Amino acid sequence: MAALLEMRGIVRCYGKLRANDGIDLDVHAGEIVGLLGENGSGKSTLMKVLFGMVPPDGGGIVFRGKELAGHRPGDAMAAGIAMIHQHFMLVEAMTVVENVMLGWKESGWWLGRHAMAARIRETSERFGLALDPFARVADLPLGRRQRIEILKAVLREAELLILDEPTSNLAPSEVTELLAILRRLRQDGKGIVFITHKLPEVMAVCDTVTVLRAGKVSGRAPVAGASRAGLAGMMVGRDVTAPQILGEIAPGPIRLDIQGLSGPGLGPIDLTLRGGEILGIAGVDGNGQLELAETLAGLRRATAGRISLDGQEITRATVNARMQAGLAYMPADRSSTALVRSMTIADNLMLRDSRRAPYRRHGLLAGRAGLTKAKALMQRFDIRAPSPATPASRLSGGNQQKIVIARELDRNPAVLIAHQPTWGLDPGATHFVLERMIALRDAGACVIYISSELEEVLSISDRVAVIAGGTIAGIMARAAIDMPQLGLWMSGRAA
Amino acid sequence: MSETAGAPRLAFRLRRDGLFPRILVAIGLSMLCAAVLVALAGHNPLTAFRAMLAGALGSPYQIGTVLNRTCPYLLAGAGLALCFRAGVINMGSDGQIAMGGIGTAATVLAWPGPPTVITAIAALIAAILCGGLWAAVATAIHLGRRVHEVLVTLLLNFVALLFVQLVLSGPLGQPGAGFLQSPAMPRAVWLWRVPHFYFHIGILIGVFASLALSFLLWKTPWGFAIRVTGRSRAAAAYAGFSTAAVTWGVMLTAGGLAGLGGGVEILGLHHRLIEGFSTGFGFKAVTVALLGALEPAAVIPAALFVGLLETGALAMQRQIGVPSALVVVIEGITMLFILTATVRRA
Amino acid sequence: MIDFLAAAIRIATPLIFAALGGILSERAGVFAVGLEGMMLMGAFSAVIGAWASSSAAVGLLLAVLGGGAIGLIVAIVTVRYRADNMVTGLTANILALGLTTYLLHILAGTAAIQVDPLGPWPIPGLSRIPVAGPLLFSHPPLTYLAVLGCAGLSVLLFRTQTGLLLRATGENPEAVFVAGADPQRLRMIAVISCGAIAGLGGAVLSLQQVGTFTDGMTGGRGYLALASLIVGRWHPWGAAAACLVFGAAEALEFRLQGFGIPVSSYVVQMMPYLIAIAVLAGLGRSTKLPAFIGKPL
Repeated sequence: MAALLEMRGIVRCYGKLRANDGIDLDVHAGEIVGLLGENGSGKSTLMKVLFGMVPPDGGGIVFRGKELAGHRPGDAMAAGIAMIHQHFMLVEAMTVVENVMLGWKESGWWLGRHAMAARIRETSERFGLALDPFARVADLPLGRRQRIEILKAVLREAELLILDEPTSNLAPSEVTELLAILRRLRQDGKGIVFITHKLPEVMAVCDTVTVLRAGKVSGRAPVAGASRAGLAGMMVGRDVTAPQILGEIAPGPIRLDIQGLSGPGLGPIDLTLRGGEILGIAGVDGNGQLELAETLAGLRRATAGRISLDGQEITRATVNARMQAGLAYMPADRSSTALVRSMTIADNLMLRDSRRAPYRRHGLLAGRAGLTKAKALMQRFDIRAPSPATPASRLSGGNQQKIVIARELDRNPAVLIAHQPTWGLDPGATHFVLERMIALRDAGACVIYISSELEEVLSISDRVAVIAGGTIAGIMARAAIDMPQLGLWMSGRAA
Repeated sequence: MSETAGAPRLAFRLRRDGLFPRILVAIGLSMLCAAVLVALAGHNPLTAFRAMLAGALGSPYQIGTVLNRTCPYLLAGAGLALCFRAGVINMGSDGQIAMGGIGTAATVLAWPGPPTVITAIAALIAAILCGGLWAAVATAIHLGRRVHEVLVTLLLNFVALLFVQLVLSGPLGQPGAGFLQSPAMPRAVWLWRVPHFYFHIGILIGVFASLALSFLLWKTPWGFAIRVTGRSRAAAAYAGFSTAAVTWGVMLTAGGLAGLGGGVEILGLHHRLIEGFSTGFGFKAVTVALLGALEPAAVIPAALFVGLLETGALAMQRQIGVPSALVVVIEGITMLFILTATVRRA
Repeated sequence: MIDFLAAAIRIATPLIFAALGGILSERAGVFAVGLEGMMLMGAFSAVIGAWASSSAAVGLLLAVLGGGAIGLIVAIVTVRYRADNMVTGLTANILALGLTTYLLHILAGTAAIQVDPLGPWPIPGLSRIPVAGPLLFSHPPLTYLAVLGCAGLSVLLFRTQTGLLLRATGENPEAVFVAGADPQRLRMIAVISCGAIAGLGGAVLSLQQVGTFTDGMTGGRGYLALASLIVGRWHPWGAAAACLVFGAAEALEFRLQGFGIPVSSYVVQMMPYLIAIAVLAGLGRSTKLPAFIGKPL
């Protein structure tokens, strides 16, 4: 039987980077193909080419026996391809039925909402989606919003569904439900491309897997009979799960003490950190991580509870006072919170310290001293750029993150809160970040390491806490990791 | 208009390099458009522009007129440059200038005893306070009630302009003038004029204020806070800068300077409060702030350019009959070109 | 009383047109600060058109085109070149002020242009009803059109695919893009239509109410329309109601003077602006803007 989709020799360049370098991909009806690869391996680019969001620089696509070229998303959809993006393309202020009708020819120019609602209910039942047509999207949890996207695809009679990292925002129980929905779609004869970098999900639901690395296909295999280690080997040149070597050091005195900390979407949270310790906070994104980090850093006000740092209460302290007390913070949003991209490296290095020496002298900005300081920090933290006057936006993600690290660690903090510090970094930069965290720990400070990448959290933490629904579901020591228990804690919200 | 977490903030994506050449191109293109309009009116554009230039620079007196005209634009525009740098779109210069004028007039007219230089100084301080107060009203509503600052400042302009008419029809008015205006001010409070050129010292105040603001913006921690706040509110909060404090700071500074511009206009030029004396100044201030690429020191040549254009246009209208409203068109078109040329993503 | 209410309706009519246009623009994600200029250009074009052709219909057509031209400028600068909505809108207002003043001087010189204002079209039968007749059914044609416009825009926005796409463009343009439509084009169309409709509002002022054009005759009405569409929560009927309130506030001027109440006319003239500020401040944080408004695509 001919394949539903054949992609042959796809090439797509961004400047000098060959994001896709001659990729072939086949998908048959009634088949789930796992598309596996690290960040930046070319998965998303390939799917953007397929869906007509970017034109390819070479290669061809045949879908249902017809060539697909020079198409736009509208054409791809009309041909029967549906894309379910990682960030849902839904209008939150509108209802489910309005989102389904949006841009859909078949709903007509005069909108018949009730007829459409009936169709939604019927299809929703058939695939176990459990959606209320008149619910407002903003009121639905992420798992339900994803099902609206699937519903849209099915109603539009898509034959091929592309799911881009569909489980990254879901709790484990929601993931299970999603996989069940995918199996039903497969029974219905749909072809599915399942993009992920998580091996267990591939093993659970896919029929075949195609692995990408650096823009090329590095392996292709049926899942039946494939081993996890073999797939992981195809994916990367390094072993992602290798734990960092944490030197044995005696736990120091209590440095950060959090009691009953609460705020909107947060708490109550109790945590105690000693010097020389990294506390990893794992959990599904959107479970209070940002609220916790920002409340600790002073960017959100706590409604109850107390935070003390080295015995000094900072619950109501300003951002500035907290910094002076020894609290450092690396926000997850690098592009507009941790850095001002359009400003220079030197300006970004003094972003939080402009009121202090050496940046300030006699009440004015000390221009030259600031530059000297910037040059020293660039050298010490290996920030690769032509000069301190280079805008931060010209640097790679890794070098940008080094600016943040340099700024935050130069204050010799007692406590560092690092939120997704390795997000989007290449392996070398990731290694650099982790190394600096460990050095800080070994020097007697404590680190709160917040990440939704469970393996990374496990690899660097002395203790691992799980945040779910804004509270700490549980904490376990590195020595006694119990994976099923962690999974249970993480799904706490959905239960 | 309320602001939710991700609400739009003004992003003047200024690129330091290559910005001024682009502004010059924008000015050139708008002059071209103006030439077409002049030709449409049946005049020779070259003759018109020559008349304009001669009218603005032809004699010391005319140069003095240019400088006097420049003065309120410079004072208000330099303050606006600071506001825009902080991402605060203050459109209320009109009203703030008007309030400054009222403050000045009220101080002089209510002055107990014979007017002296002290009276003039007090009147200018009153102008600063009144302009600042009007900006404070806008800021309080904006920050306290989350109403968009553009809307508040624009609406308050109309209130302020009507307020000028109100006080001129009552306590500050000159009965029987047949025109809404205050009695003339005594000579003792007039700003000193440079002999021969006849321009008053307001321009010097303006130049000094612009340079001071430039220094503030680039050489002080507070200026840094302004620059960070304008580029990313999230980063500013992370850096420990209070958006509210920065907003108050730039609004009061701009309001005070605009008010001073109003006071200087009264004491230096009109020597009395006149209905509608500030109408349209707010937009000129926005124009010169953007022409000066939001750099307070560069607002000086920008304001001079606009002052020159307008003085020249009046002469052009007198001499060859091309309506002086042409200047407003040139300003508008220049602004459009600048907006398209400087904000486009690099 | 009937006089007072009729005056309120008369004053509100141009505001309603402008507010309707503004709703289109803001629902699609572009702040409608340029309403003032669109109205002004519409008012100018209407009178010039009617004067040159001696036909009110030509005047109205030109009003639509003139307002639409300002809308086109705003659309190009904000949507294509991604410039700041607020400053662009303000600039459009100034440009319209300059152009209309300049062109009026060139076309008419010092002579005043006078055309016959549009007279009332009493609706047969209905206009004879006591109270309601003179109040509701004896208006000039554009007033009825304003009401039809409210109804039409409500239907367009909430009952059709076009409206759905338009609203989605202001909320999440990426969703519109992946749905196969072009959000940039939708925004352009919305802003240009905004100009055309606001231009009709200007025509109400000049052609329907006074029959002449004077420099800057809109006098801040565009900003009041902007305030009323926010107060009306971007809904045609809500905005129209807000316009009527502002109209009533302005109509008060004549009434108070009629009753000999000793309030300065300047204070009364301030009322619409003060009420607008007060209502906006009162709504405060509860106002919910389209999520993507003011952001470039």
